[in-house]
Amino acid sequence: MTEQKPMEELSFREAMTQLEGIVSLLESNTLELEDSLKNYERGVALLASLQKRLTAADQQVQVLVGELSSLGSDAEQDTTLS
Amino acid sequence: MKLTDFSQQEPATPEGAFQKAAAQVEAGEDPLSVSDFLNSFNKAFKRFPFTILGEVSEVNAKPGYRAVYFTLKDASASLSCLMWNERYQRIGIPLAVGMLVEVKGRVSVYASKGRMNFDVESYSLAGEGNLRLQVDQLARKLQADGLMAPEKKRPLPTYPSTIGVVTSPRGAAVHDVLRTLRRRFPLAKVLVAGVPVEGPQAPEWLVYGLQMAAYNSAEVIIFGRGGGSFEDLMPFNDERVARAVATCPVPVVTGIGHEPDTTISDMVADLRASTPTAAAEAVAPSKEALGLNLSALGNRMTAAMERSLALHRTKLQRFALMPLFQEPGRLFDNEALTLDNLSDRLARALPAALGRDRQATEALQDRLVRCAALFSAPQKATLERTRVQLAALGTNLTRRFKAEAALNAARLEDLSPLSVLARGFSVARTQEGAVVSSVTQVSSGQALSILVTDGTIESTVAAIRPKTSAQEGAVK
Repeated sequence: MTEQKPMEELSFREAMTQLEGIVSLLESNTLELEDSLKNYERGVALLASLQKRLTAADQQVQVLVGELSSLGSDAEQDTTLS
Repeated sequence: MKLTDFSQQEPATPEGAFQKAAAQVEAGEDPLSVSDFLNSFNKAFKRFPFTILGEVSEVNAKPGYRAVYFTLKDASASLSCLMWNERYQRIGIPLAVGMLVEVKGRVSVYASKGRMNFDVESYSLAGEGNLRLQVDQLARKLQADGLMAPEKKRPLPTYPSTIGVVTSPRGAAVHDVLRTLRRRFPLAKVLVAGVPVEGPQAPEWLVYGLQMAAYNSAEVIIFGRGGGSFEDLMPFNDERVARAVATCPVPVVTGIGHEPDTTISDMVADLRASTPTAAAEAVAPSKEALGLNLSALGNRMTAAMERSLALHRTKLQRFALMPLFQEPGRLFDNEALTLDNLSDRLARALPAALGRDRQATEALQDRLVRCAALFSAPQKATLERTRVQLAALGTNLTRRFKAEAALNAARLEDLSPLSVLARGFSVARTQEGAVVSSVTQVSSGQALSILVTDGTIESTVAAIRPKTSAQEGAVK
């Protein structure tokens, strides 16, 4: 394992990249059993972290320029559009 | 004949020049030669530029010609035009029949044919055709500058953590984009630059919006607006905007208007989506797809781990089943065989060797015996001969000594005191055994033993009479 940054500090992309790396590493089957297990453990933790982030995320919107007209809820928007 | 040079008279307007020329003709002055007239005419009219709007009806632009010849017309009139090649090429828009153009130029007459031509210095397209052509021209220019090169298109970040949105803050487009982003990828932070997308200030605002989004570290920018007319979309055809898109430090995805609309910003963008919503979809991975992707990764990981474990287990079992671990003794099989083999060879080799040695010894012994016999026979003969000789010599040796001994014995007999005694002599000895040969040896009364031939006489000295010199002799 190259990076051992704490998982919370990893961006989604970094965590994803790490997870993909671990999967290919495990699939390549070139590791010692101990390292395999260590990687697997890390992979499982990354996977859980990523899944949690994905379901729990609440989009943050920041307006840099101008003023947004009032935002309806998604449901509202969808009904007005359809 | 007076030659009037209009060029020196600086008439204010073409109308004025015509009036002057007409006045000269009416004044009945000397007539001009045709050449003079046309030269004067050309000189005069070269001063007055005209702008004429018309439709191109015929174009004659053969290679090798020094100029392009075309006709400009309207509903009821037509005008022959020519344009020198270098000017024509500088414009960059080829003339085509049916084009509505505004031409700028001057009138001239080709003297040898007396034909009037409008000498076009420049022209531009008129009407909406003009607008579209300007866009086409800019597109060609930017393409020539390499702004649309496929290798310039950057890949979009797979999982952007910050997404910029540059569009109008009003209208459906921005909400379409925000909703799509929220639905698909709520993980990303969204930066909205709400800027005017129509009107004369729009290009500057659009450029500013792109800069702001990039400056606030958006990793990818959605750039666009909802549908509108061709004129409405013009700010996205602005050269400044197009260059800002092309040089934006992060990838730009355009969603401008509706499907068929294509602006220059679309052409120079890293990815062109047909609508703002489509742009948002292109930028943000879908949450569902991501979830599936993650599950798939998890499955692959577990499967790989299980495979690895199974592989190790099988390997271990294979080792456990190896004869080495089943019967450790097998480890020395080879050595045991070698040992057996060697011992066998040794067992066979030793008696054989002993037998061979014994035979050899026996043979040697025989030969020795034979040799010994061979050697001793002549020696024995020599020995015998020598012994006989020696025996003979021995006898001879003693014979001489025997004779001598006999002789000596006879002489010894002669010399023996016994024989002297036999002849009547005696020997006197003191008690100590000393032979008395002088009177000085004895004293009176001393006992003496006197030896005679047939025994001893014990006597005592009665007297001593030393002999005179004449009568020296023995005591009796």
